[in-house]
Amino acid sequence: MDKSALSLKVDSQKFLHRNEFVGHVFAAPFVFGFICFSLIPILTSLYYSLTNYSMMTKGQPDFIGIKNYLNLFQDEIFVKSIGVTLKYVFISVPLKLAFALFVAYLLTRKSRLVTLYRSLYYIPSLVGGSVAVTLVWKQLFARKGLFNALMVNLGLDAINWFGDKNLALYPLVLMSVWQFGSSMIIFAAGLKEIPESYYEAARIDGGNGLQIFLRITLPCLSPIILYNLIMQTISAFMAFTQAYIITGGGPDNGTMMYALYVYLHAIKYGNMGYACAMSWFMLVIMSIITLIIFKTSKAWVFTEAD
Amino acid sequence: MKKKLLAVGLSALMMMSMAACDTGNGKQSSGDEEQITLRMAWWGSQTRHDRTVQVIEMYEKEHPNVKIEYEFFSFDDYFTKLKTLVASDNVWDVFQLGGNFPEYMDKIEFLNSYIDSGIVDHSKISDAYLKITQDTEGNQIGLSNGLNTYGIAYDVDMFKAAGVPTPTENWTWDDFANAARKIKAATGHYGSSGFTSSEFIAGCSTYVAQQGAVGEYGFFNLELTGMGFKDPQMLTPYIQMRADLIKEGASPDAGAEMEITNIENDFLVTGEAGMTWVAVNQFPTIYDVCAQEGRTLALATVPRYKADGPAGTVIMSSQMLCVSKDSKHKEEAAKFISWFQNSVDCNNVLQGERGIPINSDVLAALQQNATEGQKLMYNYVDLVGSFPTPEKINVLSPAGQDQVVDQYRNFVQQVATGSITAKEAAQKTYDAAQAIFSK
Amino acid sequence: MKTTKSIKKIAYHFFVVAFGFLMVYPVLWMVSGSFKGNAEILRGGLNLIPKELKSSNYATGWKGFSGITFSTYFWNSLWITLLATLGTVVSSALVAYALSRIRFKGRKFWFTCMIATMLLPGQILMVPSFLIWHKLGLVGTYVPLILPYFCGQAFFIYQMMQFMAGIPRELDAAATIDGCSKYGIFFHVILPLLKPSIVTTVIIQFYWKWDDYMGPLLYLSDPKKATASLAIKMFADSASTTDYGAMFAMSTISLIPVFLIFLFFNRYLIQGIGTSGLKG
Repeated sequence: MDKSALSLKVDSQKFLHRNEFVGHVFAAPFVFGFICFSLIPILTSLYYSLTNYSMMTKGQPDFIGIKNYLNLFQDEIFVKSIGVTLKYVFISVPLKLAFALFVAYLLTRKSRLVTLYRSLYYIPSLVGGSVAVTLVWKQLFARKGLFNALMVNLGLDAINWFGDKNLALYPLVLMSVWQFGSSMIIFAAGLKEIPESYYEAARIDGGNGLQIFLRITLPCLSPIILYNLIMQTISAFMAFTQAYIITGGGPDNGTMMYALYVYLHAIKYGNMGYACAMSWFMLVIMSIITLIIFKTSKAWVFTEAD
Repeated sequence: MKKKLLAVGLSALMMMSMAACDTGNGKQSSGDEEQITLRMAWWGSQTRHDRTVQVIEMYEKEHPNVKIEYEFFSFDDYFTKLKTLVASDNVWDVFQLGGNFPEYMDKIEFLNSYIDSGIVDHSKISDAYLKITQDTEGNQIGLSNGLNTYGIAYDVDMFKAAGVPTPTENWTWDDFANAARKIKAATGHYGSSGFTSSEFIAGCSTYVAQQGAVGEYGFFNLELTGMGFKDPQMLTPYIQMRADLIKEGASPDAGAEMEITNIENDFLVTGEAGMTWVAVNQFPTIYDVCAQEGRTLALATVPRYKADGPAGTVIMSSQMLCVSKDSKHKEEAAKFISWFQNSVDCNNVLQGERGIPINSDVLAALQQNATEGQKLMYNYVDLVGSFPTPEKINVLSPAGQDQVVDQYRNFVQQVATGSITAKEAAQKTYDAAQAIFSK
Repeated sequence: MKTTKSIKKIAYHFFVVAFGFLMVYPVLWMVSGSFKGNAEILRGGLNLIPKELKSSNYATGWKGFSGITFSTYFWNSLWITLLATLGTVVSSALVAYALSRIRFKGRKFWFTCMIATMLLPGQILMVPSFLIWHKLGLVGTYVPLILPYFCGQAFFIYQMMQFMAGIPRELDAAATIDGCSKYGIFFHVILPLLKPSIVTTVIIQFYWKWDDYMGPLLYLSDPKKATASLAIKMFADSASTTDYGAMFAMSTISLIPVFLIFLFFNRYLIQGIGTSGLKG
């Protein structure tokens, strides 16, 4: 009937209401921005990855083919950084999401205090990568920091977090989990969208709290969970500030995250071409992981659209 | 062509849409033809920003036709910004550079012709001090904002408590290691701390220069086209000593080292170490901090390979002002730099905050009201200046040195944790350094 | 029955508050650091009460650099952030509607492009992006800091898409029957129901933009145009001395607008669960 209504109108109007046209009208801001501000830098970086461009030298950089890409696999530190990054992603993302969802769920209770509580829990995310907070985080885990003071009080040995290449990553993981606020807010907004009537129906059917959570909350929230999963995975791959300020990648490259290594080569060491090659290699890896998440999501995301 | 059209169209569009937001400066159109605008930038602290701006205003008053647009940043931000300006051929007319200037060589206007023509006044600057900002071919890269060299700052009382004799000007690395161990044994504190980025140049690289005759070896060769020594094992004893001190707890391990964010919370300053590496222009600050807490610091020379061998240390420039090749007013820029380094009035405001001035009049004026810490620094620089130095020195370091330093520090940590030997670390360091020349 | 319930309630509140304190401890430490001397901060004492209360950090901090006070920096930050946030909300909602609700050719393609913009680190895109703005002659103006936000931000486009996925298609169909065009559906059906998503976008984007210093660093040159985020970084100089006291003081003040925005919009996220009456 949609069609018959449209056929009455003149051609130009028909055109204005065709999906192809409407779609591009609404997508226009992105299309414009993508072509003007994203596409050229992205393609330029791809070109740089095939050169020895260094940012400091004048003139055209030399074209060196895929040499940068071949060098990647002989670079022990790069190989190590992939391991470190994957470890960081696989530990921090699930922890952060579980924590954010837990707190968001806890704080949906109807209570005047809830607003206050949610503010309290959101504050850490507001200060983000600020130097001040990163500094205190460092001191919490320092040899004589708060964490070790507690350990000693409990009669345990102090832990040299930043001195041990196998441990140094964990304070960084914890810091990322600590800044769960934006995921929490998005979960909270998602929880708000679940109609009370669903819960009532479930309660009438005699479901207990856990059952309701599993049967109603999780499925209804699944598009948001997918969203947070994808975004947090990407941003964990890009994590840079904490490692840069707290550990500088050490000890013995134990916290050398990929984005930090890109920074070092691009900015500090002056190997922009090599840094671009690294980024494009990781782009492929991240695309694969994102694609896997998307594909599997079809099985567990409950959506009204499509 | 298409790209250009797009760019033009875009810019027109944006100008229109953003005209309301852009508070751009409409001052430039004053109409006066002689009016010149110089752009200048530096990094530093709040004190430096305030004083430098004050000086700029003085200069503008004296030269009404010159307007100076200034920008200031923190250290890391400064170089990020500089690199984007290099990429866009738009570097500030006058800009500040430290030891990493070879990377920007393409952007630096040499000052030789300006010195010859008298635009840059060097009547009160000794040739030796001009040389600290020249390359080996005699190109004047800039004028130094201040002299600098490396030394070891130590806690006098901690040395006494541990029964360690006061370091002489030709003490050796063995003396150094023994002092560190004794302090550790007597006080439980680190003997030596602060192996931050200074350590590579002040320690590792100096260690090479101290072997053989004066000027026989250097870490890199004078032309910066390769290594300045052939046998990687020349590094081994030094790396072994560093690793041993870390293992014995006489030097901070990787974790403790990471707690040092700044010279001001170095373990020497917090009272948890007996010695640390310093660039001497940092010394007056930490001297004052410790003095407030009733502790006395002193400066010792960098230890030697052999007591009667070369010192290996030289007077360097802490940072300098350069004229950029992108500048449209190079002569005016050079004029400003000359004034900045030579005017006593100007430097009475700056107060030697960037380092020890190279102009003898300026230095004399500042020395009159030097603090205790500054006096120690001045004396120390005189002492290092009196050591025999090689005929030719290269004040440059090659592009890519940062990467070598990071790798070297990792290798030392690996030796300390026992995953590689000192011999392997020496070889790896050598290979890593050599690799930057094959790029 | 009643007592066990209230015990449970007390336990819940106690737990939430205690844990909340642990969460904000580092932030409190920063605030208390803004009243400490530099030496005390650097010694890394973890106590929250300063040895002696120094309010001078606020005075030295506020006076800024070379006569430009923080009132200038905060003002610059404020209006840039407000404009950018506005741009993000408007443009992202439009784009999200196209990508999630309209079946047009190229939908998948643009969606992929959108995800792709997030997959490369900023450090390598920095130079080419800078060159574009430089060629356009817009470096030194606020345009590069604001205009891109009017072109949609991938993070929020995708977020809004996911929220739209929760809005039943029957509503669109009903509106179509009532004679609503695709444009009308967006304004009359989707937008009102998107409120929670828009609120989260405002809160998060405001904070991100407020905190962003890489943009101002690259694209602004006149110190009078600098933003607070950039000015705060100027207290730190790894090559000589860092005034942590002043830096903490200004960081503390800088938290206030972000927090106020959060408090103001936060109401919309709780106001009676599920009152929007969707799906019901």
